[in-house]
Amino acid sequence: MSTEITTRELFERLVTRGDTLPVLDVRNEDEFAAWKIEGRQPLTYLNLPYFAFIDEADRSAKRVAQAGDNWIAVCAKGDSSAFVADVLREHGTSVVNLAGGMEAWGNLHVPVRVGTGSGEFELWQINRYGKGCLSHVILSGGRGVVVDASRHLEVYESLLAERGATLVQVLDTHVHADHLSGGPELARRAGAPFFVAAGEGFELHAAVQPITDGTELSFGGSSIRVIATPGHTPGSTSYLVNGRWLLSGDTLFVNGIGRPDLGGLVEAWGRSLFRTLHHGPLGMLPAGTLVLPAHFASPGELDGDGVVQRRLGDIRAASPELALSTEEAFVEAMRRSVKPPPEVYQKIVAANLSPGMVRDEQASEWELGKNQCAVSMPSGPRG
Amino acid sequence: MEKVLDARGLKCPMPIAKAKKELDTLGAGEVLKVLATDKGSVLDMQGWAKANKQINLIKQETTTDENGREIYIHYLARLG
Repeated sequence: MSTEITTRELFERLVTRGDTLPVLDVRNEDEFAAWKIEGRQPLTYLNLPYFAFIDEADRSAKRVAQAGDNWIAVCAKGDSSAFVADVLREHGTSVVNLAGGMEAWGNLHVPVRVGTGSGEFELWQINRYGKGCLSHVILSGGRGVVVDASRHLEVYESLLAERGATLVQVLDTHVHADHLSGGPELARRAGAPFFVAAGEGFELHAAVQPITDGTELSFGGSSIRVIATPGHTPGSTSYLVNGRWLLSGDTLFVNGIGRPDLGGLVEAWGRSLFRTLHHGPLGMLPAGTLVLPAHFASPGELDGDGVVQRRLGDIRAASPELALSTEEAFVEAMRRSVKPPPEVYQKIVAANLSPGMVRDEQASEWELGKNQCAVSMPSGPRG
Repeated sequence: MEKVLDARGLKCPMPIAKAKKELDTLGAGEVLKVLATDKGSVLDMQGWAKANKQINLIKQETTTDENGREIYIHYLARLG
């Protein structure tokens, strides 16, 4: 048995196959509570920080052995868990170490094909599973469009190269707060135009195309309609691909909606979001439109093919936020849902407004953890 | 008297593993000053001192060295 497992191999086992491996997480209790490895099935966890194995190796190893066998050992970067795995093996417990730890888990991107369709048109969802971030690649007639690229550009560039497509357009749905956008740099490297709308109140220092609400972008026999959907942020934009797939950014998720409180203006942004969802174009789109969002909150949102998508009509029927039919009730619910965002979100927004200033190491640290971009209403369980 | 442990450039678990070894050679109340560059050491030292009743984390400081690198300084003592 190998002593290490890569993030991709672990994804295949926990998500693609739905295995239930026990996880030994050797980080601090707070770090474990905030963010951990999740699979399709509920996993069993043991959180025993690595210093317990420095202080009392025998006793700690015995505790692990009593709790189970065949562990996946996890820490922040993969070194402390490797040390713990060695201790455990000396004590006869079977364990594999997750190479690169949670940092690598949060950086794993898995491309998943959405639907099948003919060879001329392909839609790919790039699942950054550990963080719950989704980006999309649309390929048509040898041309490609990337929406909400992360800073891990090789993911997009290698997919485009593998499918023999030329990048002709890069789009962001909004100025992200939970991760750094790779859009401006991806576009620069390909000589393609980049578009994002920051919206009122924000100064954007990136070269963007002058695109407005309602524009149709045509490429390789396909078309993308640009739809202003303000609320999560003032500039939030959704992209309707060939009239069928809605790349909704953080406006609409398969199990809810994007938080309107990240800018500290829950009242104004909340009103704007209500109008977008009910009276704006999102209210008019047919129920059969397939919504592909920029985030998911739990692995249960992946469908059988591993795609995060849902019919607009089903989201309308299931979302407690969308059931709030008056603007006042909606805004009041949004006010009650306000919670402080992670402090680092302000820095990430600033960096996305002025791209190209952040070192990789810094970016990695800022991006640790799962996104917190969805509204979580204090009352009521959700599916 | 304080003893200095230079754990700069070392990744976890080394700062704590080495600190533990050094503390075992010190008498109760003697102070060990640990220099580290691993940012994770800040929370980890706190967690360690919380979990191990024999370890007293007296204080933590952050400074910057001549190359602009952040140095995390931990002052530890053995209680028992």
